[in-house]
Amino acid sequence: MHVLSLLPAYALGILDEEESVEVSQHVASCPACRAEFQCYLAVVDQLALAAPDAAPPARLKQRLVQRVELLRPAPAQLPPPARLPWRAPLPCGVPLLRWRRPEGVRAVQGWRHLSALFRRAAPVWGLASLALIVALATSTIWLWQRANPRVHSVAGMQVVALVPTDAARGASGTLVISGDGDYGALVVDGLPPLDAAYQYQVWLIRDGQHTSGGVFSVNPHGYAAIEVMAPEPLASYPAFGITIEPAGGSPGPTGDKVLGGHL
Amino acid sequence: MDYTPLDDEALIRLIVHAQADALGALYGRYGRLVFSVALNAVGDPDTAEEIVQDVFVRVWERARQYRADQGKVSTWLTSIARHRAIDQLRRQGARAGQHSVGWADLLPQAEPISNGPEQAAELAGQRERVRAAVARLPAEQKQVLALAYFQGQSHSEIALALDLPLGTVKTRIRLAMDKLRVMLTD
Repeated sequence: MHVLSLLPAYALGILDEEESVEVSQHVASCPACRAEFQCYLAVVDQLALAAPDAAPPARLKQRLVQRVELLRPAPAQLPPPARLPWRAPLPCGVPLLRWRRPEGVRAVQGWRHLSALFRRAAPVWGLASLALIVALATSTIWLWQRANPRVHSVAGMQVVALVPTDAARGASGTLVISGDGDYGALVVDGLPPLDAAYQYQVWLIRDGQHTSGGVFSVNPHGYAAIEVMAPEPLASYPAFGITIEPAGGSPGPTGDKVLGGHL
Repeated sequence: MDYTPLDDEALIRLIVHAQADALGALYGRYGRLVFSVALNAVGDPDTAEEIVQDVFVRVWERARQYRADQGKVSTWLTSIARHRAIDQLRRQGARAGQHSVGWADLLPQAEPISNGPEQAAELAGQRERVRAAVARLPAEQKQVLALAYFQGQSHSEIALALDLPLGTVKTRIRLAMDKLRVMLTD
């Protein structure tokens, strides 16, 4: 059944959750509705241009510059990075994934794109360490008696257990979101390796909209661990999903969903 | 450095390399637009100012994640602003229509936007085109669409706020979007 009448509201992100899920699932499997959705999304994208004009105060730019300057201290002033266990540099010399400077000043990122590493499906110490940390976090959670078995909080981090669909029975996944909600690490296991023309893609879902969180391939054992990247804090997305997409990813979900979870 | 010849994606690449002046140039191009979206959503200039700062700081922090194939830079900025504003409204528990929203006063032959010195002619032309299209919508469609777009209000929330049947709200939003789609299709 097509969902054409719901697509404008879906593009606006104003459907209730039940309708949003229904439309999302249909659009993922219906090229005609997906094409219509893209057209309505293009309309929504342009609505901002019609916002009644308002001039920002002159001080706003100066305040922005000052704020950005605080985020970018001069290199000579930088103290050594704080050594946090799960972000420690690795013995083989793989760059730090990320580190946070004291006084809350964010560090310049010095890590390589993990998705590129995964596409080579090569065992990397950095990925193994990330997976170990996630595994330790999730095993700790499993020892805890919690009312909600799907979402837990550990040391300020949120851990979301991803549930497999019929398309990937036996698979499992865990998403760990940092305490500030900005960053995330995904570990999956038991996903079938795909043909070279396909990859798995992570989706961050909010108000019916799907934002890509990254593309990855699994190793021959169905395992992968990646950092999930998002234009906005991960904790602001109430739902997550993983689908099968053409290699390199898609603008929106088109293939079978294999794992999903909610915050 | 004169950033005028650079396109938006080039500015983003410079921002990836921590060029603060490039962020300033991006603000010069779109700060007014982003502020307009934020102010129309939240209705309060101070809150709108915070949202604009948050948008450009997020661009500063996440420029590496921008992908040109997922949309224009301006769309990325206004999308962040819209979602940030909607999140703010939800945190405040704001009800639909608590302040005047959107396009009630938009007329078919509205005056051109007064361009600041840094606003590109191209953007001004785009804004005028979309404004003209929205202005041609019936007033009742503009009203519900503004609440949906600027405040992220659901069908039922809008129906409750405006004391309208749910079906009427759904129909008006759908008709408005269908009309805009026709008018804005190249």
